[in-house]
Amino acid sequence: MTRLARIAASAPVPVFAAIGPGRQAETERLLARPGLRRADTARDAAILLVAGDLPEAAAPALARLHDQLPRPRVTLRWQGEGADETETALTGAWRELCAGGPDEEDRLPDAPTNAWRGVGPHGQGGEGMMGGTPYGRPMAMTGADIRDGLQLDRYSATLGPFAPMLPPGMVLDLTLQGDVICEAAVAEPPFAQPAEADAPALCAARLLRLLGLEKAARRVIGGRRPGALWITGAVPPGLGRIGGADLRARLAAWLADRPVTVPAFDLPALLAGAEWCEAMLILASLPPSELIRAARRDAAA
Amino acid sequence: MLTIGLITGWIALAAALALWLGPKAASTAPQAAPFLGGGTPETHAWQRYHFRPYTMALLFIAFEMEMMFMYPWAVVFVSEGIKALAEMGMFLAILSVGILYGWREGVFRWQ
Repeated sequence: MTRLARIAASAPVPVFAAIGPGRQAETERLLARPGLRRADTARDAAILLVAGDLPEAAAPALARLHDQLPRPRVTLRWQGEGADETETALTGAWRELCAGGPDEEDRLPDAPTNAWRGVGPHGQGGEGMMGGTPYGRPMAMTGADIRDGLQLDRYSATLGPFAPMLPPGMVLDLTLQGDVICEAAVAEPPFAQPAEADAPALCAARLLRLLGLEKAARRVIGGRRPGALWITGAVPPGLGRIGGADLRARLAAWLADRPVTVPAFDLPALLAGAEWCEAMLILASLPPSELIRAARRDAAA
Repeated sequence: MLTIGLITGWIALAAALALWLGPKAASTAPQAAPFLGGGTPETHAWQRYHFRPYTMALLFIAFEMEMMFMYPWAVVFVSEGIKALAEMGMFLAILSVGILYGWREGVFRWQ
């Protein structure tokens, strides 16, 4: 092990968590420990932590996620072990990786999902910047902008089930114009979570992480004061208003260690028209149990 | 001859360094895909969006150009008389087309 590798091994362990049913609270508490670092993207992580039993439907998404981790990488499964044990396993795996330990091969073939078929009916084709299907994927077509009616391109994508800003298991079908969400639909509701996921500290920490206050989030999970000034001022007033309480009010309640309940709401209507950052803040400002209920209602409809 | 040699040599050196030091795109196909937490994009990433400060910049330049030429014009206006007035009228007419265009694009609708 070289000197550089030793220095690297002493850094916090970059972990990307794929959280399964019932494991959200435990995983969030584990990754708030000082020796671990929760990576925001797969590209930023070295270890993929698979917490709990994932349903069969999430397997292709997990394979895509796994291949997006840069090499060398390692996957750890966390079933029923204690948090201390898992932390030791993570740290051990990170040391091993830094010392040039075993690497994992891709699970998916190293070929574009949609093959390039040259200019023609399945190649770039189209007229000018419009139409055509390069790499078998259609170009974004224009639609009226929902704010001022200008004709802008609509980009659609599926987000989740392991997107770190969404509750674990949630899959959203999104249509965006720039960073404005035009349409949102719930393709899969989040995985069921025990009531502990609604704990005020964990809910507040999720919002703080989204706001970029990583250290404050760790302190809140650890049961201490956030140690940052005027946190509620970081979110615009009136955002995500449901039943008289806006995002600021919910965040303030959580920071004061009070649980939050919201009346029934229509999730797609709440997200449509919001900018990306606002929409993600709104989603993180809803207690997981209420969000699961709303998403199930929407997915069933 | 020496100059040409120096220039060619310098270009060759710069190109060689760029090829040698440039970052290699060593990512695989799954890594080249956007990170959507396991999700997939349905449309191609090439899309046009409205660069909203554009109309604002148009308006700024239209008024700035007016002011830029009005100062020297004001100095010579008394000696040049009606001719200068007509010239400035034409200039302002051309610039106001830009302002009208910005109006149509909604630049005066503040949000």
